[in-house]
Amino acid sequence: MDSDPIRHLITPGLGSLFLFSVIGGVFLLLSGDDSFSDLATQMMINTVVVLGLQIYIGNTGILSFGHIGFGAISGYAFAIFAVSPSRKLIQIPNAPLGLAEIDLTPFQSGIAAIAITLVIAIIVGLALSRSGARSGSVAAVVITLALLFVVHEVATNWIDLTRGGKTGLSFSPFGGNTLQGSYPIILLLFAAIAVARLFKETRAGRLAQAAREDDLVARAMGINPAVQQMIALLLSVAVVAAGSAMRVYEIGSISPRLFFFDYTLLTLTMLIVGGRYSVTGAVAGVLVITAGKELTRNLAELDVDGFNWFFRDGLTDIFLGAAMLGFMIMRPAGLLGDWEFDHWLLRRFKGAKSPVPVSKPTIMTSAQLKADSVSVHFGGFIALDDAALTAKGGEVVGLIGPNGAGKTTLLNVITGLVQSDNGTVLIGSNSLTGLTPIKIARAGLARTFQNIRLFPALSVRENVEVIRLVAHRHRQGKEMPSTDSLLVKAGLWDQKEWRASELDYGNGRRLELARAAAAGPDFLLLDEPTSGMSDSESIDMIAQVRTMAELIGAGVVVIDHDLNFITGICDRVYVLDQGRVIAEGSPAEISNNPLVLAAYLGEKA
Amino acid sequence: MTELIQQIIDGLGRGGIYALLALGIAVIFGVMHLINFAHGELITVSAYSSYWLFSIGLDWWLIAPIIVVVALVTAVIIEFVAFRWVRGAPDFTMLMTSFGVHFLVQALFVMYVSANFRQFPRPEWIFATFRVGQLNLEIYDLTVIVITLLTLLATYLLLQRTMFGISLRAAAEDFDTARLMGIRSNRVIRSAFVLSGVLAGIAAVFWLMRSGQAGPTAGLSPMLKGVLAALIGGLGSLSGAVLGGFVLGLVEVLLISRLPSSIAGLTDGIVFLLIALLFVFRPQGLISVKHVERV
Repeated sequence: MDSDPIRHLITPGLGSLFLFSVIGGVFLLLSGDDSFSDLATQMMINTVVVLGLQIYIGNTGILSFGHIGFGAISGYAFAIFAVSPSRKLIQIPNAPLGLAEIDLTPFQSGIAAIAITLVIAIIVGLALSRSGARSGSVAAVVITLALLFVVHEVATNWIDLTRGGKTGLSFSPFGGNTLQGSYPIILLLFAAIAVARLFKETRAGRLAQAAREDDLVARAMGINPAVQQMIALLLSVAVVAAGSAMRVYEIGSISPRLFFFDYTLLTLTMLIVGGRYSVTGAVAGVLVITAGKELTRNLAELDVDGFNWFFRDGLTDIFLGAAMLGFMIMRPAGLLGDWEFDHWLLRRFKGAKSPVPVSKPTIMTSAQLKADSVSVHFGGFIALDDAALTAKGGEVVGLIGPNGAGKTTLLNVITGLVQSDNGTVLIGSNSLTGLTPIKIARAGLARTFQNIRLFPALSVRENVEVIRLVAHRHRQGKEMPSTDSLLVKAGLWDQKEWRASELDYGNGRRLELARAAAAGPDFLLLDEPTSGMSDSESIDMIAQVRTMAELIGAGVVVIDHDLNFITGICDRVYVLDQGRVIAEGSPAEISNNPLVLAAYLGEKA
Repeated sequence: MTELIQQIIDGLGRGGIYALLALGIAVIFGVMHLINFAHGELITVSAYSSYWLFSIGLDWWLIAPIIVVVALVTAVIIEFVAFRWVRGAPDFTMLMTSFGVHFLVQALFVMYVSANFRQFPRPEWIFATFRVGQLNLEIYDLTVIVITLLTLLATYLLLQRTMFGISLRAAAEDFDTARLMGIRSNRVIRSAFVLSGVLAGIAAVFWLMRSGQAGPTAGLSPMLKGVLAALIGGLGSLSGAVLGGFVLGLVEVLLISRLPSSIAGLTDGIVFLLIALLFVFRPQGLISVKHVERV
C-alpha cells in the first residue's frame, strides 16, 4: 500500500470476483429449480442490503438501526417515480409537486431514489458526527432509531404521498415483472461485493477501522473519524438504497411495514451472524440465516406427536432472535470474524515474502518543540503551574517527577487532549495552542499512552500501515521509512500478521512505538514506555527508542519512572513537582540537585 | 392558564411512569454499562400475566402486586440467561445482546400465544374524573403521581441508607474498585436487576391499566420511552433519569395538545426527533454526567 495503492487492491479485487462467482453460482443453481427461484432473487437482494450494512457497521463499528429507514426512503422514492401515472392517479391522485404525473423508467427511478436517499444520508451523517458517534455509541443508536421511526410514521401518515399504511403503493398490473435471473440484479450484486470488499482496503476504510478500534488514539494520531465515517455512510446508504429499490420492484408494492423492525432484525442478524468485519462473512450470514429461516419455516408446519410445542408458527422468529443472542454471547465476531476469501487466496498462491528493509536514517528535524508557562487546574487542584519544556530535534528529553506531579497532564496539554488555562505550545514557528488533537498530530507530534492502546483487532502490520497512511497525506515534506522497515526495526516482522491483541506486553509496547514513528512526527512523545518492564527489557527499550527516533529524524520527549532508563537515554531531564518545573539539566546534574532529592526522597532542601 | 395546569398534571401522570422505567434502566446502566433495550419485555411479560390472571377471574387489586413480582422475576431471569454472559463485553456486543433479548421474548409470545393483541378489562373507576375549580382531574393521574413519588422516595432511602444501596451506588460509580473493596459483583448486579424489575413492575401496572391489552410488541413503546427518558437524563445519573421521565411526559402532553391535528399522528416521531436533536446539540444529555477518560 505504501508505494502502489492499485496493486494492493488486486488480491481483494480477485477475491471479490471469486466470492461473486461462488455466491452467484449458488443463486444460479437455486434459480434453476422453480420452487427456489423466488428465494434466490430474494437472497440476492438481501445480500446487497446486508453488504450495505457491512460497509458502515463493519468498518466504523457504529451500530445503525437507520439503514432500513434509508431503505424505506429509497423504496418509496422508487415506487413514486416508477409506478405509471395511470396507476398513480388511482392510488395517490393528490400527491404533492405533481408527482402523480411523473413517468420514469425503473432505471431512472432507481437513480433518482438513490440520489434522494443520499441527500438525507448527508444530513443524518452530519448529525451523527456532531453527536460524536463512535463504535458502540448510544447517540448513534438513538439518532438512527429516530430515523427509522420518523420515516415509518411519515410513510404511515402522509397518505397523499404514500397511500398510508393499510394498502401501500403497488405497481400491478406491471408488478408481474420480476428480477429473476435478470442482469441488473446480478450486476448490482457484483458491484456491492466489490465495493464492500475494496472499501475495506481503501484509505478511508482503513482509517475508519482504526477509529472503530480506538477513537481517542485515532484522533491523537491525526485521523479525523468524522470524515471517514461520512464516506462509509454514503457508500453504504447508496448500496442499501439500490438494494431496497430492487426489493420494491421485485415485490411489486411497498408499505411502511416492508422496511421496519422485521427487516432490520433480519438483515442485522445476517450481518452479525456471518461476521460484521468481513464481506465474505456478510454473504455467508445471508446464506446461513436464509437456510435457517426456510428450514424453521418448514419445520413449523410439521406435525410430529410430542413435538408440537416446538414445531409451530413463530419458530422462525425464535430462530432469528436466538441466533442474534447466541452469537453475541458465544461468538460476538460472528462466524468468520474478519476472514476474507482473498486471505485464503493470498496464502494459497503466494509464499511469504522475505523482508528487504531499505531504510537509511532520515535527516533530523530542525524544528523545536516549545511549551511555555502552561497552567492547568482541575477544579481546585492545580495540576500544572507555569510549567515549561523545550526539546530540539535529535535530542531525548526526559520528564520525571513523583506521581501526580503533572507529567502526563503536560503531555496531554501538548497533544491537545487537555486544554490549558494559559500558556503556549509551539512547534517551530507554528502555534499548537488550542488546536484539536487531530491537527496537532498532523503538525508533527505523535504519542504513546501510559496504558498501552493499540488497535486490538487490526493486525500488527495494519496498526503501522494505517498511521503510515495518515502520514502519507499530512506529513508530505517528510521522507519516511516503509511500513516493512519499521516492522523489521521494531523486531515485529515475524509477528506482522498477528492481531495486535495477541502480542505480549513488551511487543505491544514496541508496536505502539513503531506506530507512533509511522506518523512521521518531528517529535515522539512517550508516556512511560517501560512501565511494567523488567530491567533487561527496559535496557532494550533504550535502543529501541533511539533507533526509531533516528530512523524518522525526530526528537523525543519521554516520561518515565525508571531512573536507569532515564539516565541511559536522556540528554536533558526536566523534573516536575506539584505542577512546577523544579529542575532542568543533564541526568548527572539532576541526580545531584538538592531540590530534586527533596522531592523524591522527602529530605528538607 | 387552567388549561396549562391541567396539561401539567396530565404530563406528570404520564411522566411518572416514564420516570420509573428510566430509573430502572439507569440503575442497570450504572452497574453494567448496558443500555437495556430489553427493559420493555418486563412490561410485555406483565401484560400477558395480567391477561391470564384476568381470565382466571382475579381483579386489579390482586393482580397489581402479582405483576410487580412477575416483573421482578422476569428481570432476574433475563439477567441470568443473557446479560450475565456479556458482562464487560464491548458496548456493541451488549447493545446487540439487549436487542436480541427483546426480539427473542417477542418471538416467544408470537409462538406460544399469538401475534394478535389480547384485550383485558381496564379498571374504569380509576379513569373517573372529578372537578377541582376549573380543573378536571383523573383519579388515575393523581394515583400515578402519588405512587411514583412514594416509590421514588423509597428507592432514594434504599439507595442512601441501606448497605445494599450503598454497594449499588459504589458499583455504579466504579465497578472494579467496588469489587476490589469486597462488594460481590454477582450480588450487586442481581440486586440491580431486582430493583429495576420492581420499578418496571409498578410502571407496568399503570401502563396496563391504561392500555388494557397484551401483545408481543406491548413492551416496545414503554421501552423506548424509558430509554429516551434515561438518555435525556444523561444515563449515568439516577436523579437525571427521574427528571428525564417527567420532562418527557410533559413534552409529550404539550405536543399532543399543541400540534395541529393533521400531524398529530407523528407525535412519537417528533418526540424521537427532538431527542435525536438533543443528542446532536448536547451529546452528554440534559444533565451532564462527567465521563473523563484517563489517558
